Amino acid sequence: MSSKDRIAQGLESGWKVTDGATLTENHTVEADVVIVGTGAGGGTTAEILAKSGLSVILVEEGRLYYQKDFKMDELTSYANLYQEGMSRVTKDGAIAILQGRCVGGSTTVNWTSSFRTPDATLNYWGKRFGLEALSPDAMAPWFDGREIRHSMSPWEMDPNLNNDALRRGCEKLGYSWQIIPRNVKGCWNLGYCGVGCPTNAKQGALMTTIPGALDHNARLFHGLRAERLVMNQDRIDSLLASAMASDGITPTGIQVTLKAKHFVVAASAIGSPGLLLRSELPDPYERVGKRSFLHPVNASVAHMPKLVDPFYGAPQSVYSDEFNFRNGVDGDVGYKLEVPPLHPAMSAGVVPGHGDTQAKNLAGLPWMQSVIALLRDGFHEDSPGGTVSLRDDGSPVLDYPITDYLWKGIRDAFYTMAEIQFAAGADRVRLMHLDSDWYSSWADAKAAIDGFIMAPHRVRLFTAHQMGGCGMGSNPEESVVNGFGEHHHVSNLSVHDASVFPTSIGANPQLSVYALAARNSTRLAQRLQK
Amino acid sequence: MNDHLDPPQGQGSVSLNRRSFLRTGLGGALFLGTVSVTAGLSGCATAPAGRLGAVETRMDARYQFRFLTTDDIDLFEALLPAILGSALPEQPNARRIVIAGTLERIDAGIHKFGPANQKELRQLFDLLNFGLTRVTIARVWSSWRNVTAEQANAFLERWRSSNIGLFNNGYMALTKISNVAFYGYQGNWHLSGYPGPPEWAVKVLPQFRNA
Repeated sequence: MSSKDRIAQGLESGWKVTDGATLTENHTVEADVVIVGTGAGGGTTAEILAKSGLSVILVEEGRLYYQKDFKMDELTSYANLYQEGMSRVTKDGAIAILQGRCVGGSTTVNWTSSFRTPDATLNYWGKRFGLEALSPDAMAPWFDGREIRHSMSPWEMDPNLNNDALRRGCEKLGYSWQIIPRNVKGCWNLGYCGVGCPTNAKQGALMTTIPGALDHNARLFHGLRAERLVMNQDRIDSLLASAMASDGITPTGIQVTLKAKHFVVAASAIGSPGLLLRSELPDPYERVGKRSFLHPVNASVAHMPKLVDPFYGAPQSVYSDEFNFRNGVDGDVGYKLEVPPLHPAMSAGVVPGHGDTQAKNLAGLPWMQSVIALLRDGFHEDSPGGTVSLRDDGSPVLDYPITDYLWKGIRDAFYTMAEIQFAAGADRVRLMHLDSDWYSSWADAKAAIDGFIMAPHRVRLFTAHQMGGCGMGSNPEESVVNGFGEHHHVSNLSVHDASVFPTSIGANPQLSVYALAARNSTRLAQRLQK
Repeated sequence: MNDHLDPPQGQGSVSLNRRSFLRTGLGGALFLGTVSVTAGLSGCATAPAGRLGAVETRMDARYQFRFLTTDDIDLFEALLPAILGSALPEQPNARRIVIAGTLERIDAGIHKFGPANQKELRQLFDLLNFGLTRVTIARVWSSWRNVTAEQANAFLERWRSSNIGLFNNGYMALTKISNVAFYGYQGNWHLSGYPGPPEWAVKVLPQFRNA
């Protein structure tokens, strides 16, 4: 392996990294702080705390994969880098959940879009949840800092043709569009962000905060699942964790006990509520797992007259917020428009169908273009979100009922996406709905969408952004943590990930997680050093 | 297949009863769980198929099945021609090899799904494999080994167009698992016009050099 790789180099230099699969006997370890999760929140927290001189242990259920493993292959990556081998779904199976499960978490597999939390969202949090301290002005320096740390800036190369179609369609219809800021350094514009960046250009947790923390003496356990936090009187005494075999999914039976002065949970909007529920921590108002949000996504595909090659080039570089806050922050649901990369397995999973028709659909992949709409859920009383609960085996599952309020937005988004694709010159458009045919004009598509039955399973729905479930707020009766991520009822517990968001973000959430985790970790470091 | 084995067009009271049975019975995991137990008692294969002989099955004898049972393999051997349609080669031997490889990748994929989703799929597959539920719920009259591609297609169409969400969900589960395992495999990339990762990048990236 080339010694240029940051991870390979670090491992050679003696980073304290332990693969759970190699453990042969139970043992106990201790540090100032134990952090559960190594994604946007956990990585940021680990680096800031470790640099402040605290001893830190990171615990990651997934495994450590890095450049040597990133071979631009979908099947291998989906099986190893994603939750439940890319098969995670909501409780009734209606929404497919794309979520990372590896060192770096979802930042290892995301499509690099890097947006600040919209002002309207922060202001809404201030007004509705007593989080005035997170005003746009107060957060600005934290966004600035994280944009530098993760090399975020608007994409300077030309958008690929898949993204350019969104730009063209919007331009033609008079809808606003912008270039997406990306967290990359020396990007080769290959198009494989979703399967682990093959060139180390992506500046997710794996290339930034995780190495930063390990350079400062932090210790990382991967292939180690956090089972439960154990209380002793009013404080958490330890975390019990189980080692996983090298397949990443079979427990070996080896237990690790992790003791610390303080615990930070950053195990995602599904994992964090899951861990808190398993641990039966104080939750007098039963808030844990409630108000879980997803930015539910529906999609449309088009057949374009010229080659699109939607598998190549930066996957996301153009977006439109024309419809995101059009009805005010808390009116009819808004949606952000973006474009997904289309590789063969991804397309085969997104475009429903079978038989000769499906073979023909997928044979058209090089001409295929797609637009997705991300619904801004959680800002209206008819969008209360979902609920994370535990299965019999203790694993977390998200129940997310789709309300009529959301169905209306989903139908509106179908209209918008089809209209934009035809405006961009599409020959034919097909909405990702079991009843959709290919339509050759905007009028035909519109008439068909008018008649669509909006029902779970018939509408193909996805989510790549899981938020909420350990919501923050000033009132303990309606939240789990305060605006610093500090648990309302357990003094040595913080939550530093997307689970603290009291609504969805209204934009791809990685920068929101980085910035809030940086702010709250800086405060935590000061607190713990006293 | 002979005509008399085709499923009757359900319009009479029998079909209505069947539908109300579905609405009350299929919704509960309890019922599905019962099917799994009953399937085991009535002789359906319940253990992963492990290694299968290469000669009899056309499988790579080195591949160890970790989830699919021999009954599941019969099920998918019946469904894959209907799911993949003209994407499958016509030449019988090539066709068998592609189907066998797809089955292995389906199995490998499901292994990584983890216990919770494996349990859901176990229930779905048992429901389809167990004679009584295969007939009443899937309306497939003969065992999967004897089902033609046309009959398999008719079954898929019924579940796709049904207004019962659980059937739509079953349709998506079966087709998605199969389509992803098939089109995602390097040997089939050409069927979606995907040339693979850019060659120039593969040439210079260290992870593609021989270890």
